[in-house]
Amino acid sequence: MKRIIIMTMILSLFAVTGTQAQKNGKQMDAFEVQVDGLGCPFCAYGLEKKFKEFKGIKKVAINIETGDFSFLYPTEKALTMDAVVEQVKKAGYTPNIAKITRADGTVENSEADAVTQITGETILSEAAITVAGKCGMCEARILKATSGIVGITEAAWNKDSQLLDVRFDEQQTSIDAIQKVVAEAGHDTNAYKTSEAGYADLPGCCKYVRIEQ
Amino acid sequence: MKFIYTIILLVMIMVSCKQEPKIMEWQLATTVALEGVNPIGIAQDAEGIWLSDGDHNRVVQINDSGEVLQRIDSLDRPMHITAQNGKLFIPQYGNDQIMIRDTDKLKSLVVGDSLDAPAGVAVDGSAIAIADFYNHRIVWTENGSDWTSFGQEGNAHGDFYYPTDVHLTKDRIYVADAYNNRVQVFDRQGNFLNVIGEDQKMNAATGLYVDDASVFVTDFENNRVLVFDTEGNLKQEIKKGIAKPTDILMRNGQLLVANYKDSSLSLYDWKEAVLVVDEESHDHDDHDHE
Repeated sequence: MKRIIIMTMILSLFAVTGTQAQKNGKQMDAFEVQVDGLGCPFCAYGLEKKFKEFKGIKKVAINIETGDFSFLYPTEKALTMDAVVEQVKKAGYTPNIAKITRADGTVENSEADAVTQITGETILSEAAITVAGKCGMCEARILKATSGIVGITEAAWNKDSQLLDVRFDEQQTSIDAIQKVVAEAGHDTNAYKTSEAGYADLPGCCKYVRIEQ
Repeated sequence: MKFIYTIILLVMIMVSCKQEPKIMEWQLATTVALEGVNPIGIAQDAEGIWLSDGDHNRVVQINDSGEVLQRIDSLDRPMHITAQNGKLFIPQYGNDQIMIRDTDKLKSLVVGDSLDAPAGVAVDGSAIAIADFYNHRIVWTENGSDWTSFGQEGNAHGDFYYPTDVHLTKDRIYVADAYNNRVQVFDRQGNFLNVIGEDQKMNAATGLYVDDASVFVTDFENNRVLVFDTEGNLKQEIKKGIAKPTDILMRNGQLLVANYKDSSLSLYDWKEAVLVVDEESHDHDDHDHE
């Protein structure tokens, strides 16, 4: 009996999702994006507003506290994961996770973080690297950049100290390589400076005081 | 003997006249919790205090205890509101419209230009100024019908980088140039006059209020309100009771600060400063005694 109730509940959930995905008779894909650094309402509403410019977009919802951002989009327009991630970046934000549930039930996920292989013989080093930044969005961007580096097992950036604390395997990466990746993502380090174009592309609230090289 | 008493009295009067003037400052009086309201803009009219609650797409009127008395729903991300002569002006960031609430009726302000995310509005008689966020400019009319604009994207004086609030005085237009982290001052023809707070390392100067003596600015990311004189000299940094502030208002001699993050309203009184003496500075003598 218990199994039947559970099965019924699961089927009901599928039915609800199906109804949502076929709103107004139109097949809709469901998009869920988790964006870091949406502490400012002007930023959050701006992201929402820019996505509303997509013709046909429905049910735009944004949670400023959690950074969860979701919407429905017509299946026939075949909006890709790359296009969604690119649009989020264009609006000046850093997408952490993106998930598309297509109308036919297929699920697509954004690129996963780099996987660092650790064995019993791995010796992890620690370092505090100076990284310039200004706000929660900067933090999200810096950590997103480090999450893509094979060899890093832990990373945390502090706005007040301007330090990026990392634990990493020196066999797989180096302090120099980490600084280079972070600078390419838009944040000056002592060893590498972000390009003028990269700095210009940062959102207003991320315009930190640049590190003199 | 009488002569001696007179001399002593005169000396006492002279000494008392030389006393230092009292140092006054804004001091936290109380913080009012706003349940379910994340305030962005604040305004007052004869009915009381109004708050825009962008997260919930509404504007609410509250009493002194923070209880919601009435609400205007179905708005689209209302931002820095203002009130004049019984009318409430509501910029809607989400759909680029300025709504006017006049005795329970809502109508749209006809602006002779297209806006992209209006974040703040100020009204003085027939004059209206709008902070046009994504267009990096101020849209402006002196007479209520002939519209013009000034400013462009940039960081030179007269440029803006995402302006979020605007305030009118009888001969000035003050702009919260949010992501240039400063306030800019213009005459009422839109000519640049002065910049305020550029050296204070603000991080998102989101809201402002101006009276005859002071310019108040919310420094959103740094959780503080900065108080300048009208020449731009810093007079006070208020940090107590501030959590992601978005707007300021003066009401019956009290300063009201809307705290977006805390869902609260902090009230400050203008009082004599309480001087805190650092005991260590008395205990230690760092002078050289050669």
